[in-house]
Amino acid sequence: MKYKGDSYYIEKVLEGKTNYFSYIVDRYQNIVFSIALKVLGNREDAEEMAQESFIKVYKSLHTFKGKAKFSTWIYRITYNNCISATRKKKHYFTSTDDVQIEDESQEMNLDGIPEENRATYIKTAIKKLPEDEYTLVLLYYFEEQSIEEVSKVAGLSESNTKVKLHRARKKLYKILHDMLQDELHTIL
Amino acid sequence: MKKFEEDKELKNLITNMTPDSPGRDFSGKVMNRIFEMESVLEKLKRERIFGKGFWIITSLFIALMGTLIAISINGADGAESQLLKLLPNLNTGGVTQSYENIAEKITSLPLSIAGILLSSSFLVFIDHFLNKKINHKA
Repeated sequence: MKYKGDSYYIEKVLEGKTNYFSYIVDRYQNIVFSIALKVLGNREDAEEMAQESFIKVYKSLHTFKGKAKFSTWIYRITYNNCISATRKKKHYFTSTDDVQIEDESQEMNLDGIPEENRATYIKTAIKKLPEDEYTLVLLYYFEEQSIEEVSKVAGLSESNTKVKLHRARKKLYKILHDMLQDELHTIL
Repeated sequence: MKKFEEDKELKNLITNMTPDSPGRDFSGKVMNRIFEMESVLEKLKRERIFGKGFWIITSLFIALMGTLIAISINGADGAESQLLKLLPNLNTGGVTQSYENIAEKITSLPLSIAGILLSSSFLVFIDHFLNKKINHKA
């Protein structure tokens, strides 16, 4: 069934037709889960957190004024939930902040990545980014959200978001480059 | 190096990526939790803490206390004459007689003792009522 747009389902749920909320869950579950998985680090916690986030969305649906995009609102709730959970648990995740990126790093030709492995390569590389940069990249490139929307989710200023996205992209190229080098060494 | 906004190649590559997905029937699990939460809320809304019976008995108790106070202030004759003013053609002989008997018995007790008796019976009633509610929920 074709997704009819967020406002249609929101209206139905607010009318008391709770089961319409499942369309919203189906539509956003992958991104919500991906963000939770990146921040929390394991599938079990991520699934629990994703469920919690959707329940929070359901409970506060009446407060959604439509000023921002609904997806931005959901991702912001998810991101905040996950960050608070990690703070509570004092759970630290591995970060790639130590990835050295040169100021004038060489533009990598993405065609160099074997076509059949491109999806796997990019997925693996993105996962190596720290959770904030991962979220920015996922929302900006995959979800095609604007800088303004991404900045709202991450709670950053627009200029800060741009800087972080710029850095994340550079890191991503570096990671992809290293992955290809490793592959090459393995082959040789 | 290109600006990140201009990197269509990277964008295409990421757009074609499949994001991680939660386990099977994720949306079913979320919906079950929501329905569960809803049913608990509905039950709480339906189940009032104090039912109809409680309010009837409380009103009667308050009315009785009010009458007692009125009698102690005006005396039984005052209450009777006021009633007769309101209902002049009513033959209240029998009712008045029994009312006077009850009032006489009640007013023959000191008011403080009557108050203690009524309050303790009210507390016993509340205790009985709450115990019944707790046992019913358990």
